[in-house]
Amino acid sequence: MTSLTSRLKGRSELGVALLLGAAGGLVLWDAVGLVTPYSKSDPVGPKTVPYIVAGLLLVCAVMLAINVLRGGHGETEGGEDVDLSHPADWKTVLPLAGAFIANVLIIDWAGWVISGTVLFWGSVWALGSRHYVRDGLISVSLSLLTFYGFYLGLGISLPAGLLEGIL
Amino acid sequence: MDVFSSLMDGFATALTPMNFLYAVIGVVLGTAVGVLPGLGPAMTVALLLPVTYVLEPTSAFIMFAGIYYGGMYGGSTTSILLNTPGESSSVVTAIEGNKMAKAGRAAQALATAAIGSFVAGTIGTALLAVCAPIVVKFAVSLGSPSYFAIMVLALLAVTAVLGSSRLRGFASLGLGLAIGLVGMDSVTGQARLTFGQPLLSDGLDIVVVAVAIFAVGEALWVAAHLRRTPLHIIPVGQPWMGKEDWKRSWKPWLRGTVLGFPFGALPAGGAEIPTFLSYVTEKRLTKHPEEFGKGAIEGVAGPEAANNAAAAGTLTPMLALGLPTNATAAVMLAAFTSYGIQPGPQLFESEGPLVWALIASLFIGNFLLLVINLPLAPLWAKLLQLPRPYLYAGILFFATLGAYSVNLQAFDLVILLVLGALGFMMRRFGLPVLPLILGVILGPRVEGQLRKTLQLSAGDPAGLWSEPIAVGIYVIVAIILAWPLLLKAWRRSRPQAEPAFAGMPATSEADPDRTDAGGANPHPFDDRDLDTTRNTAAGRQERP
Amino acid sequence: MSIIVGYLPSPEGTAALEAAITQARKDAKLLVVINSSRGDALVDKRYAENEEIAGIEERLKKEGIEHLVQQPVRGNDAASEVLQAAEQHRADLIVIGLRRRTPVGKLIMGSTAQQILLEAGCPVLAVKAAHQS
Repeated sequence: MTSLTSRLKGRSELGVALLLGAAGGLVLWDAVGLVTPYSKSDPVGPKTVPYIVAGLLLVCAVMLAINVLRGGHGETEGGEDVDLSHPADWKTVLPLAGAFIANVLIIDWAGWVISGTVLFWGSVWALGSRHYVRDGLISVSLSLLTFYGFYLGLGISLPAGLLEGIL
Repeated sequence: MDVFSSLMDGFATALTPMNFLYAVIGVVLGTAVGVLPGLGPAMTVALLLPVTYVLEPTSAFIMFAGIYYGGMYGGSTTSILLNTPGESSSVVTAIEGNKMAKAGRAAQALATAAIGSFVAGTIGTALLAVCAPIVVKFAVSLGSPSYFAIMVLALLAVTAVLGSSRLRGFASLGLGLAIGLVGMDSVTGQARLTFGQPLLSDGLDIVVVAVAIFAVGEALWVAAHLRRTPLHIIPVGQPWMGKEDWKRSWKPWLRGTVLGFPFGALPAGGAEIPTFLSYVTEKRLTKHPEEFGKGAIEGVAGPEAANNAAAAGTLTPMLALGLPTNATAAVMLAAFTSYGIQPGPQLFESEGPLVWALIASLFIGNFLLLVINLPLAPLWAKLLQLPRPYLYAGILFFATLGAYSVNLQAFDLVILLVLGALGFMMRRFGLPVLPLILGVILGPRVEGQLRKTLQLSAGDPAGLWSEPIAVGIYVIVAIILAWPLLLKAWRRSRPQAEPAFAGMPATSEADPDRTDAGGANPHPFDDRDLDTTRNTAAGRQERP
Repeated sequence: MSIIVGYLPSPEGTAALEAAITQARKDAKLLVVINSSRGDALVDKRYAENEEIAGIEERLKKEGIEHLVQQPVRGNDAASEVLQAAEQHRADLIVIGLRRRTPVGKLIMGSTAQQILLEAGCPVLAVKAAHQS
């Protein structure tokens, strides 16, 4: 028991194997449910490729799990603006995701100008800016600008929502 | 003179005032995102995909071409002035380029990079104009079996050769193929992986997938690991070169071009290997070996030329065969699909004017880069002072806007977030992004070719190898897949022999799936020469 | 008891440092030099380079002034870093440099100097950059 828990420790990558396995299982389950009509013009049918994909995902899941348990791990992606010396900063990522979700929830009801403002202002705040006035001005003008830009330039009318009639 | 007259028609299209304007916008935007940290050409083209709903295809692709070349150029600016190569292809430029800048020769380093890029880009584009029709002529004679084999090769080559772990590459490919399966099966009309959700029956929009993986995933990933210590930029004025610099640069430019183009055109060739080869070549041939490691201009001129020639080379299989070999080409291919244009060998015939206008605009874009960006270099350096919150909030903002404007439904934003989280996870656990995107884009087409092939052979699997080309390609596929085993055997027979270049495709390690990420080194080389590229400015902390 | 100076690599910052050194020489107190960055951009020209900081430290050593040079990068703006240091070292003087800002600019960008002047618990000496005529 103890050896298992100690082995699992620091192996969050097993979650990736789990995800791959789940995806593979899902593809397989979905493919089984498909009907293959007998047809001369389509000997391959709709099932073959899903089976192959499911097989690939499941094999990868198993091999990745073995690989991780034997001590292998993926090379975290670096970049110009990425500092891997500190662990993931959830205090930034979670509020950022929160701003994003807020936008998804209110966009159809409140309209793009309001939800876009919330999104940008919230993201900027999550990323550590504390110039509330400046950030607010930028958020509102960006949202207005894109709203009219899309309407006049691209002919796409984003939802006006609560501000219907004003904009 | 067929090519020539088509190309002239292309210039006529590309030089209309509106299209020229889009070329300028593309070049400026591309350079800006190349300079800005955390933004790359692939992400930018992905964020701009919504414009394809209103813009004419020709204008859109002229702009995308500008972004592609501009991004290459911008990347070299930051690697010279800051020593933080944004793209793996400008890693080598940073070695000598940053040393030159530190020695007070930033202006010359930027100039040789810019002019070298221009020279290589122009020659590379000319080669593209000549080669692509030849490849097409060859490709249109191929049947479904060969075409199926070529696409399988492209998928496997990118998955198995690039990146440091083949296993993780295949995992990523599998996920991409699964995403590509979602929606109505084109032959039988059955819904696959839609879970009864009518919104999914048209499949996942490629715009949403590309934006999620490249923009949302990247923004979240960078937000989790923001660099806190400010870097110092080397101040620079107007780039210029003296007579001696010209004399030392022109040969490396040409040699870099010769190295870069073919590698770019190969599936999974990329720009990393030719830039590295160019660096090594210049180091060997130079008359000033003592300057290497201290800022030799040849070490900037050659790799930069190779980099841009490879960019032109990449477009050859993209336009001639519909096979993208890097992320930006993949997203551009997604744009073709969103116009309903079928990429592949038929492209030159069915969309001839578009393709030639695109090639002409590459020449124009190259020229614009030179005349616009040489005077603007100091301005680009200022762009680096943009506070990060605005940068990354802006990426999220425009990603949301782009994905939402596809269908104007909030459901797409949910998918955007889910796939963005997937992109984040992939970066965290070292799954490469490119196989996934290729899987999404090529997956349905591979399936289509497979079904067509077996339809022609009435269900006989032997139909798959009924063409000699297909057989030849399967042999290559087999070699790629067996490569690690072959290498192991070869090493065992010659125990002390070093491989030609250490870790060329990094997969050649004895156990490719055990990458111990000691230093998070984004590039595939292990050569000692490259140690200098590690960021030296990161060690500054608060003083007690 | 000590003197805090907010330093930037600019004419205003240099003027502030000079004024602070003059004061420290007079009273022989601890001089704390703060050069902070929010660290929110890839490049920050207000963040002094290593050589510059070394030069300042050498100069202060030569002058025989007891000193501390700090470069905090903690995501805080310059004003709160200076105020924090003032509280921590129980400063009896803060020295800052001033530059001209339009009212609109102040509204949008905020003003570090204004915040320090309003919130400091001790006298603040605000100096302008030396005129070059």
